[in-house]
Amino acid sequence: MKEPLAWYIAGPLIGLIVPALLILREKQFGISSSYRYILSFIPTKISYFNYHREQDQWQLHFAIGLVLSALAATQLFGFSDAITIDKLSPNKYEIVAQSIYDVKNALQFFIGGILVGFGARYANGCTAGHCIMGVSQFALSSILATIAFFVGGLIGSLLIVPAIY
Amino acid sequence: MKFIITLILGFCFGSILIYSQAYSWYRIQEMFHFESFHMFGLLFSAIGTSALALFILKKFGIKSVSGKEIEVKPKPAQLKANIAGGLIFGIGWSISGACSAPVYVLVGMHWQIGLFLLAGALLGTIVYGVVESKIPH
Repeated sequence: MKEPLAWYIAGPLIGLIVPALLILREKQFGISSSYRYILSFIPTKISYFNYHREQDQWQLHFAIGLVLSALAATQLFGFSDAITIDKLSPNKYEIVAQSIYDVKNALQFFIGGILVGFGARYANGCTAGHCIMGVSQFALSSILATIAFFVGGLIGSLLIVPAIY
Repeated sequence: MKFIITLILGFCFGSILIYSQAYSWYRIQEMFHFESFHMFGLLFSAIGTSALALFILKKFGIKSVSGKEIEVKPKPAQLKANIAGGLIFGIGWSISGACSAPVYVLVGMHWQIGLFLLAGALLGTIVYGVVESKIPH
């Protein structure tokens, strides 16, 4: 994998999505409510999914843009993520470096996805809505959630991931 | 028109996540192993830029394109939910290497894995919808 776009360019660009969404769409940056929006189309008695879903419709459109960006990068612009990160330790990770997105790892991603979906709704936001949007408002809820994201991430990355490989 | 604008903003966001490799499982592991400053720099500078932008919007009373006041509401503090949900999210983020937006990026980039991720995220959301009233917030 080539060198990534430098953080001091990418980070401020992500930060600028926040005012862009506010000025152009009057929306607060976030993405995980798109899951709730998608599920609201399934007829169900679960009250959580019977809500004024129009407020979240834009997040699905935002999500479609995300999917298209990946299709464009890989299909049109020749982006490839064959990765060897040599700095990453323990050395075990180099072994799986070429194959992490292989279907044989599907269960790991499925379970991870369940925790991401559940956790984002329970915490009332994800990395976008809490870490970036919320912390930049100095919201207590978002600062607490962000700390919890990182503590959870350390547990997962230092204890659970090494146990899988 | 609104649809197109939102789509383009999502496209921009996704492209930044891709070319900065923030969507990548490896960058996430690298971050949690404190092996590189890349992801920390990216998050901190995104937060700093956003905070500065919010300050400017407020200070100059900038209105939206449709002429409305821009309202920014902080998410309500729900201490138990923010912390417990955050811990669960963090564990999911590290083992899948993807938070909510990269799930969609991976649907477009590695659909074989991305669809498992998206299915998982939707299932997790359903579980929350079912137990919402029974868990502490």
